[in-house]
Amino acid sequence: MSASHADCVFCNIVNGKLPADKVYEDDLVVGFWDANPVAAVHILIVPRKHIPTLNDVKPEDHILCHVGQVASRIAEDFGVAQTGYRLFINVNRGGGQVIFHLHAHLIAKKRPGSE
Amino acid sequence: MTDCIFCKIIDGKLPARKVYEDDRVVAFWDAKPASPVHILIVPREHIPTLNDIPEEDRIVDHLSIVARKIAADLGVAESGYRFFINVNRGGGQVIFHLHAHLVAGNDFGTLFIKIGIAAAVLWRKLVRFVRPQPKGKRSERISQ
Repeated sequence: MSASHADCVFCNIVNGKLPADKVYEDDLVVGFWDANPVAAVHILIVPRKHIPTLNDVKPEDHILCHVGQVASRIAEDFGVAQTGYRLFINVNRGGGQVIFHLHAHLIAKKRPGSE
Repeated sequence: MTDCIFCKIIDGKLPARKVYEDDRVVAFWDAKPASPVHILIVPREHIPTLNDIPEEDRIVDHLSIVARKIAADLGVAESGYRFFINVNRGGGQVIFHLHAHLVAGNDFGTLFIKIGIAAAVLWRKLVRFVRPQPKGKRSERISQ
C-alpha cells in the first residue's frame, strides 16, 4: 500500500490538494476542523500516513500515543483541556467510520466563556 | 490511590468481569454497559486523565492495541466498534483514572434512521402505486 491515495479525501487534505481549516501540523499528523462540526469544537486528527482503520495500525507506527498527545495539546489551545473533551476513533462501518483513513475526533461541547 | 475504584479492581479488591490482563493494562466489562459490547481498558498505573500522560509514556498505543485484540476476540473488529477516551467532567469522565471505552453492537440511533428511510421509501412506492402520476401524458392530453 502506497503512502498516499489519490482518491482519499484525507490524503488530499494532508498533501494540501484540498482545503481544510488546519489547526495543527507536524511530521506525523495533521489536525483540522471537521467540515460538518457537530460541537463547538470538532477537530479531526489525521496521521499523514494512509492507514485505513485502527485495526491496520502497526505496533511500530506509535501513532496513537502521538494522537493522544496532539489531542491534549489542541484541547489546551482551545481552552477545553480542563473543562473536558472526548477523543474517539470510529472503526469500520458499524462503528460509524465513513472515511477509511484513520482519524481521531476531538469533540468539546462548549468552549469556556462562549455562553 | 486507595479510594480509586479502578485501582481496587486492578488489585482484585473489587469484583469485575475481566476479559484481558497484562503487565500494563486490565480490561473488563463496564458495570453499566451502554451497548451489547462495552469494555473498559484501564492502565495499571494511576494516571488521572489523558492530559496527565508523560511525554515518553506509550500507554495510549497499548490501549489501542488491546482494544483491537478484544474487538477481534468478541467478533466486532470487522463489523465495527468505537474506541474513545473521555477527558475531564465536560468530556464525560466520571472516574479519574485514565480509561478507554470499547463500544460495539446495536446502535439504536442509526437503526431508527434506517427504519425511517425504509418507511419513507415504502410510503412513496405505495402512493405511486395507488395514485399513478400521468406525468408524461399531460402534453398529449392538452394537445388533444
